[in-house]
Amino acid sequence: MKRPAEILSMARPSRRWRSPSATVALIVFFVLFPLLMGDESMWNLFFRICLGIAMGQSWNMLGGFAGQTSLGHAAFFGIGALVTRTLWFHGTPFVVALLAGGVAAASFSLVIGAPTFRLRGAYFAIGTLAVAEVLRITVGQNQPYISNMSGPMIASYNLPTRYWAVLALAVATCAVAYLLLRSRWSLGILGVREDEEAAQASGVAVLRHKLIALALSALFMGFCGGMFAFKEISYYPENPFFPTWTFEALMIAYIGGLGTVVGPIVGGIFFVVVRYYLAANLTDVHQLIFGALFVLVVLLLPGGLMEIWERVKRFFARSIRRRDRRAAKD
Amino acid sequence: MSSFMQTLVWGIFNGAIYGIAAMGLALVFGVLKILNIAHGELVMLGGYLGFWAFSALGLDPFLSLVLVIPGIFVLGLILDRVVYRWVVRQWGEEKIKNSLLVSFGLGLVLTNLAQWLFTGDERSVQPSYAGEGLNIYGVLMPYTRLATLGIVLVVTVALHFFLRKTYPGKAILATAEDYESAELAGININRVYMLTFALSAALAAIAGQFVTFTYALLPSIGMFWTLKAMIVIVLAGTGSIMGALPAGLLLGIIEALSGAYLAQTYKEVIGLVIFLLVLIVRPQGLFVRK
Amino acid sequence: MPTWGRLCMPDKFLQIRDVSVAYGDIQALWDVSLDVQEGEIVALIGPNGAGKTTLMRAIAGLNPLKSGTIHLAEKALHATPAYKIAAQGVILVPEGRRLFGGLTVFDNLELGAYSKRARAVRGDTLKLVYELFPLLTERRNQRANTMSGGQQQMLAVGRALMGVPKLLMLDEPSLGLGPLVVENIFETIKHMNDQGVTIFLVEQNAKKALELADRAYILEQGRIAGTGAAQELLHDDRVQQAYLGICPTPET
Repeated sequence: MKRPAEILSMARPSRRWRSPSATVALIVFFVLFPLLMGDESMWNLFFRICLGIAMGQSWNMLGGFAGQTSLGHAAFFGIGALVTRTLWFHGTPFVVALLAGGVAAASFSLVIGAPTFRLRGAYFAIGTLAVAEVLRITVGQNQPYISNMSGPMIASYNLPTRYWAVLALAVATCAVAYLLLRSRWSLGILGVREDEEAAQASGVAVLRHKLIALALSALFMGFCGGMFAFKEISYYPENPFFPTWTFEALMIAYIGGLGTVVGPIVGGIFFVVVRYYLAANLTDVHQLIFGALFVLVVLLLPGGLMEIWERVKRFFARSIRRRDRRAAKD
Repeated sequence: MSSFMQTLVWGIFNGAIYGIAAMGLALVFGVLKILNIAHGELVMLGGYLGFWAFSALGLDPFLSLVLVIPGIFVLGLILDRVVYRWVVRQWGEEKIKNSLLVSFGLGLVLTNLAQWLFTGDERSVQPSYAGEGLNIYGVLMPYTRLATLGIVLVVTVALHFFLRKTYPGKAILATAEDYESAELAGININRVYMLTFALSAALAAIAGQFVTFTYALLPSIGMFWTLKAMIVIVLAGTGSIMGALPAGLLLGIIEALSGAYLAQTYKEVIGLVIFLLVLIVRPQGLFVRK
Repeated sequence: MPTWGRLCMPDKFLQIRDVSVAYGDIQALWDVSLDVQEGEIVALIGPNGAGKTTLMRAIAGLNPLKSGTIHLAEKALHATPAYKIAAQGVILVPEGRRLFGGLTVFDNLELGAYSKRARAVRGDTLKLVYELFPLLTERRNQRANTMSGGQQQMLAVGRALMGVPKLLMLDEPSLGLGPLVVENIFETIKHMNDQGVTIFLVEQNAKKALELADRAYILEQGRIAGTGAAQELLHDDRVQQAYLGICPTPET
């Protein structure tokens, strides 16, 4: 009897994260590198990378595993940021505020989830976009003034602390994604993704599966928003609701490889690092290049970077086999 | 009373622009069966082309339509050939998702292209007669707005005539209805798709022209117009190309009335809220007989 | 009077060799080979789900081939886009009519002559189609989806004729139609054949098909199970039992 994760991995060019040693090595790298480099820009860069990984992984839970393309994830990011910031500024300990932000985002997602999931495909996508835009405009109208950290908060601002927090979030998000893939839920959601009607006919509780994906995805995206609120000293409350956040999460998930756990990790690193260097050197056109890159990935490499990796591995495996066969013949 | 009439008239003027902005998207959705999120960027580019014509060549915004329409039409041909062709021939869910993602990425590219070419400063086009207009019983009707409404009506009628009475137009309608049968009849549907997309781009460009002297012209307005167009086509019913104008007018009027009698804040949101309600409650739209 | 295009190559007209078609992982046709000579009427009979429609669509270019070749008088049809195949005179009347419902009868007919070849003689062809199907003349401005099944079938055949076919393929023309209409349609098919149009016909109604055709093929489960002259097949025991509903008379 094959375990759900194995079946899921057979349906897509995904890789089960097989080596715990590689995982540990990666985490160690993420801990040590910024520590050793020490300068502020490194901390910031790595913060962005971890945030990107967490965002991409969140979107992946809904868009990759469940196959529901959401264009409104900024709503969850924004709610997380808003709730966390508000509570935290009013004296709530940060961790509590962060949890509250995530839960608020998840709850909101469930409220809009049931009606929006009645929409299919394109309609679901633009429906989520519309919801996010409604939130953005409303918040923008209601809170037009910039949100600033207070004096004491700025004085006690510790960048490394914030980095450890977002690193923990990134690890947690990936862990949850991994566990999701090993659960029974993943089998049902694979059916939903491939053919919703057939899944329904075979008794899969389609709506419940989708809602689980949505809630978890929103929860972690909300945490990401909370992290944003934690890190940024000042920003306009409308900012975290901008569609750019949705698109960043979406692009990272896509470029890395949709439906895999490793994809968003690879995508996050690639996306943030490339953007960092492009922005530094080709400031004017870096977004343009990104857009073009994204279009190419969707058209030519739907499996993202992971697909390149798979192909490379298969190529080497084939050449090794060929070499062995030739050796055996002699 | 006259303020109510003024609000109404203003709603109609805005609605006309919404209508023509949506017509192109309705065409693409009905024929190519894809949702082009970059449609708003085509509106934006049309506006910028008109702005350039005004500032560099001194062309009146209505006259420069002669330049802008073919210009963006050609852009549409290129975009279809280079980008959308690969998505249009796909199937079902894959096609929808890929078209959303591809058009979103393209939108990013076009937005940044405009930013690079024209900078992020807000632009506008103010022809010399911008302030003048008719005044009927206290209701102001600027000439620019009247001309806009007039052009929109003419274009709508022309489009209807083109689709229903000309050979290529009928081929487009046939492809929209049943592309396999269209192919069996010998219709080169790749060419139909390309023509349709370019046509939709041209319609977007016309809307963009009107945006230059009515709304803000910034590289970032693409999303705003894409959403407006989507609201309108959902209101009209996604199969209905001719329903775009009445639905656009309706949206314009609703927005204007809510802005005047509820609060300005609601004006922006009301459209989106109605959009969501219609999507969920009556997805076939308001103007389609079911 | 448009010439229906004799190609002066009496044999080697439509050649299908080892054609396999699959829908994703599901194979529908296995190494199908058949010939249609110029001027013939060839029928394809077989049970439901055998793959007859799949084969028709593959010839017309709507289904890609997994393997095999299709030629029309030495010209390759496989891997050609469907509209080019239609432009060359291989025209399919698809199963279930598939008209442009929102357009008028006239529009539908007009669009049938889209290819350059057909457009050149459109006026004459239209006159001919109106002669063959007088009730289309009456309803020329009526929307296609407001007509009855039989009228729609006539329009579908008329639209195909507008393309000036050299090879006319029909997929289940009698499906869901009353006997009088079916009679009318089959008469028209015979008439077109007399004018020089080669006919390749898929029919559930095996008896009618075999009575009309010169030769026939039997397709079962995606493979050719038999072939022969139509008259012979009509009197063949197995065919009679399987497709004509005639039980063997008990030995006396």
